[in-house]
Amino acid sequence: MSGDSISLSLPLSRFATDAYEATTLFQELRKPLARYLTGLGLSPEEAQDVVQDSFLQLHKHLAAGGSRDNIRSWLFRVAHNGARNCQQSYARRMGESLEPIAGAASGEASPEQVVLAKERFERLNAAVHSLSEQERQCLMLRAEGLRYREIGEVMGIPVSTTADIVSRAVNKLAEKCDV
Amino acid sequence: MCNFNGNLVAWMDGELASDIAVNVEKHVQSCADCRRQVALYESASRDFTAYYVMRDQSQPVAVSANRIPRWAPYAAAVVAILLVALMSLRPDKPAQIVSETAKVTTPAVVESSAEPARPTQSQSTPVAHQRHVRNNSQAAESPAPSAIQIAIPAEAMFPPGAVPEGVAYIASLAPDGSVQSIRLQP
Repeated sequence: MSGDSISLSLPLSRFATDAYEATTLFQELRKPLARYLTGLGLSPEEAQDVVQDSFLQLHKHLAAGGSRDNIRSWLFRVAHNGARNCQQSYARRMGESLEPIAGAASGEASPEQVVLAKERFERLNAAVHSLSEQERQCLMLRAEGLRYREIGEVMGIPVSTTADIVSRAVNKLAEKCDV
Repeated sequence: MCNFNGNLVAWMDGELASDIAVNVEKHVQSCADCRRQVALYESASRDFTAYYVMRDQSQPVAVSANRIPRWAPYAAAVVAILLVALMSLRPDKPAQIVSETAKVTTPAVVESSAEPARPTQSQSTPVAHQRHVRNNSQAAESPAPSAIQIAIPAEAMFPPGAVPEGVAYIASLAPDGSVQSIRLQP
C-alpha cells in the first residue's frame, strides 16, 4: 500500500469532505467494528490493527472516488475480510471465556441471583456455541444494527439467504434458552 | 406450527415487504402461538446482544482504544481551511507561494514541477524526509508549468489510531485549485 498513487480530479472541497466523512465514520464505527472483530475471535490488539487497516482502505477508497453508498457495510466487509487474514487468531471462538462474563453479569446481586444468572449465561453460551460460524456472524452483525442487505454484503450472501440464516439462528437460540 | 413462523424474525426486524408485513402482523394479533414465539425470539435476541456486548466488555482494552480527542472531527475542517487559505494566496509567481507557506509547519508545502522527479541515487533519502522547500533559484530555473504538492500528515486529518503512524497524503494541486492526484505515503 505504501507509495500507492491514486490519480483523480477532485475539487478541493470534495477532498475535505472525504476527510471529514472518514473521521465521522471512524468515531461512529470504531467500537462496533472492534467488537465484531473480537467476536470473531481476534484479540483486542489484533482487532485494533484490523480496524486501522480498514479505515486506511476507506481513505484510499474515498480518495480514488469510490462509491459512497453503503459505506457502513463496506467497512464491515473490509474488516471481516481482514479478520480472515488473521488465521491463527481466527481459530478462537466467541464465548471462550464464560466465567468473566458470568461474573460481570452477577454484579452486586444476591447469591441466588448470581446462580441464576450463571445458569442463564451457561445456557446462552451453550446455545451460541451450537450455532454455525455463519449463523453467529450474522447475529453479531444484526446486533450491531446492520440490515439484512448489509449483512449479506458483508458475508457475501444473498439477502434472502441472510434472512433464512438469521431466522434459523434466532430460532435455535430461543429453543435452547427457553427452559 | 404456523406457516408464518419462518417470517416472524424478519417481521420483528422490519425486513419484510410492507404487504407481507401487514399480513404477518394481522396473524400475530390473532395467533397466541405466534405471539409466544415472537416473545421468545425477542428474548433470545436481547440475550444474544447482551452476551455479545458483555463479552466485548470483558476483553482487555486495546492500547489506543480510547484516545479519541474531542477536536478530532474538526481536524479535517481545519486542514480544509488551511488548504483553501493556501489556494487563495496563489499569485502568479509560484516561488512566492512557497515562501509564504513554508512558515506553516502542517501541512508542509512542496513546490515542484508537474512531473514528480524520479529519485536518483543521490536522492535516496526516504520520501518522508524530503518534505522541504526548494530554493527559489531552482524554481525560477524551471521552465515547466509548476504544480503545488502539499504533504498532509494523516494524523492532522484523522483521529489517533485511525491510520498507522507516519502515513501522509501528498496532494498535487493544479493551478485551478483542483486536486490532480493524491498519493498515500507512509
